[in-house]
Amino acid sequence: MTVETAQSRALDLVPFGAAQFPSLRQLRPVLLPVATAGTVLLLWQAVCLVFRIPHVILPAPTEIAGELWRILPTLLKEAIPTTLDSVASFCLASGLGVGLAIVLTYSPLLRDTLYPNLVAFQLVPKVALAPLFVVWLGITSESRIAFSTFASFFPVVISAAVGFEGADASTLRLCRSLTATDWQSFRLVRFPFALPAIFSGMKIAMTMSVIGVIIGEFISAKAGLGFYILYASSRMETAAIFAALFVLCMIGAALYGAVALAERHVRRHYGRR
Amino acid sequence: MAHVGRAVGLPVAFAIFCVIAWEALCRFGHVSSELLPAPSAVWNVLAGNPGILMEQAVPTTIEVAVSFAVACAVGVLLAIGITFSAAIREAIYPNIVMFQVIPKIALAPLFIVWLGVGGKSIVTVGVFIAFFPMVVSTATGLVGAKPDVLQLCRSLTASEWQCFVLVRFPYAMPHIFAGMKVGVTMAMIGVIVGEFITAQAGLGYIIMFASSAGETATVLAAIVVLCGIGLVLYGLVALGELAVRRWYGGELPTSGVI
Amino acid sequence: MPDSFVQNRVPAAATTQCVEVIEVSKIYHGGTQNAVEAVSSVNFSVPHGQFVAILGPSGCGKSTLLMMVGGLEAVTTGRIEVDGSPMAGPRTSIGIMFQDSTLLPWKSALDNVLFPIKVLKRPVQEYHDNAHALLDRVGLYGFAQKKPHELSGGMRQRVSICRALVYEPNVLLMDEPFSALDAITRDEMNGLLLDLWQQYTKTALFVTHSIREAVMLADRVLVMTQRPATIVEDLTIPFARPREMSIGESREFNEICGHLRERIEHSHFEGRR
Repeated sequence: MTVETAQSRALDLVPFGAAQFPSLRQLRPVLLPVATAGTVLLLWQAVCLVFRIPHVILPAPTEIAGELWRILPTLLKEAIPTTLDSVASFCLASGLGVGLAIVLTYSPLLRDTLYPNLVAFQLVPKVALAPLFVVWLGITSESRIAFSTFASFFPVVISAAVGFEGADASTLRLCRSLTATDWQSFRLVRFPFALPAIFSGMKIAMTMSVIGVIIGEFISAKAGLGFYILYASSRMETAAIFAALFVLCMIGAALYGAVALAERHVRRHYGRR
Repeated sequence: MAHVGRAVGLPVAFAIFCVIAWEALCRFGHVSSELLPAPSAVWNVLAGNPGILMEQAVPTTIEVAVSFAVACAVGVLLAIGITFSAAIREAIYPNIVMFQVIPKIALAPLFIVWLGVGGKSIVTVGVFIAFFPMVVSTATGLVGAKPDVLQLCRSLTASEWQCFVLVRFPYAMPHIFAGMKVGVTMAMIGVIVGEFITAQAGLGYIIMFASSAGETATVLAAIVVLCGIGLVLYGLVALGELAVRRWYGGELPTSGVI
Repeated sequence: MPDSFVQNRVPAAATTQCVEVIEVSKIYHGGTQNAVEAVSSVNFSVPHGQFVAILGPSGCGKSTLLMMVGGLEAVTTGRIEVDGSPMAGPRTSIGIMFQDSTLLPWKSALDNVLFPIKVLKRPVQEYHDNAHALLDRVGLYGFAQKKPHELSGGMRQRVSICRALVYEPNVLLMDEPFSALDAITRDEMNGLLLDLWQQYTKTALFVTHSIREAVMLADRVLVMTQRPATIVEDLTIPFARPREMSIGESREFNEICGHLRERIEHSHFEGRR
């Protein structure tokens, strides 16, 4: 407390401007990547203008921005099913994944039986199964959610199971010496210890479920951003593809950001270093 | 011995049980073969005309192998650049991490616009998807070499290049292989999606074509072949890791990634 | 205070033993053909209120023995009785301190001390004062709300002592609790433990590989060797309590240490042959 007030008092004394703004050196990690991205955009624009590259091959960033502004209502409408399906499959994959990991942790028989099969499934190109889901569930949102859940479920199970297994062994022994029940040692020790691993699985699952939904929309949809991108590419509307990609990237980044933010919140609560 | 038997026997027994249950369900459950063909039906397709499937497996395998190789080479080179130059690292790395997050697969149609329908655009999709995990995990490994060992090198007045060859690279090996293992599955995904949407040749094309024609047994047979290819390629990477590990005397730190 | 303390810890008249270890062996099979005998036919008993150190080189099975007394490991043959009834599993009348402090990284020092109370589902409020008193007693006044990563290694081990005492077990088992600390902190912790012993007299089993630590703390030292993994010496330490750390400089102290060292080296040499 005393340190804090001393610091804030010290800040008051510093001339205006010096303390408020971080120095250039401090901003370097933010400025450099942004500057790089900006340079790439400028170069892109210059190349398009100087070499008169056809719009179909590579529209200039300004053209893409214009197109984005023009078709934004359509894109937002298409973005709704994509976002909803992604969130739904992410939630399903996380819930089922953590649930199965708990079962695997407490039943050695099921663990020995299922875990190697789950790991083997990780290696299999699950994408190839996408058309099967269409055969089974039709051209519906359910089929895309089912496929996407299927694709993003495995990383959650495996990282959660590894996390539960990796909980500090001597702390678990302490619980046993205190005659703690399985449920107590799970709730008080295993689960909090596994949270970082669960979150790293969930972050992978978040990107995978967006990918799963996009693939689903590529092969079967009548709506959604994946459908729109394929539709635009068949009509060679490259600027529209880029505009749709931009919206999709924003959605992907926002969803990922939400999970990362939740992780930070949890990390602060269970803060450890 | 009993322990090992359980570790192998149980999962295999479970897998076999699943296949038998599936067969039984199809035989006695009156499931239409269009919805779910029995394993025996899938086997019949595999054994009946292996020629067609194998013919289509050739381009798929080549595309996956090429895009994986290119992704590895480009990824490792860029990671080396990132490790040596602070400017490159700070300028590019956050952008690469950002790219990790967005659904890159959505760019596939764009490559087709650029490169036309065919192997070239499919390989590009594969490279584009497999490349990012390669860079990120290689860079993590190269940067993560133990500081005290690097300090030892510096105290021996080793050159940057010597530090790299003698310390950073061996330390990064497990990470590079972890990246390669992710990369090989990613290249596979990229190639299959590429084949889905270009629909000219390859197992992805067969899967799309057969599923729209209601020949689900053929779809499953093609998936079996794909899984085989995936496992062989993954196995080759794992074998490579084992060989490198032995070369370094088996004392490499593990990365903890399956 | 001193009177009650003396009354408390006079074991001479007591006929019932607190801990009895009878012909205990432990054999690990470890999945292979060649079994390892970690502990072979150990016999000893500890009267109520006695502080016993088990001294031996690393890997001689002394920790395994302690864990068997704590009910965390099963005996292969033989029998262990605590308070007159055979051990079948962990008990709440036994407190264990492990080599590392095993504090939960996301809980404050106070919450870590109260962790056993929570697990045992006793009313946490009632133990609040007790926990605070213990923390003050070990010199952690004002650190109750600090997280483990804000504490030094010695402080963390102090918290773990408090945690082992807070739920008032009758027997305290300590598994090389100070071996991860530096020499100076370790001396400090020995002083603290001697000091605490004046107040909270309990039956204690203390495993260590430090000869001086054993002689300094214990009423009785049992020497355990590697081959065979059994007790080869049972030595009563003649120093009266309360003890000062300065006894470490006395000639008698050093003679006892010398004798114990000889005993360990001899059996080590014998074992190697």
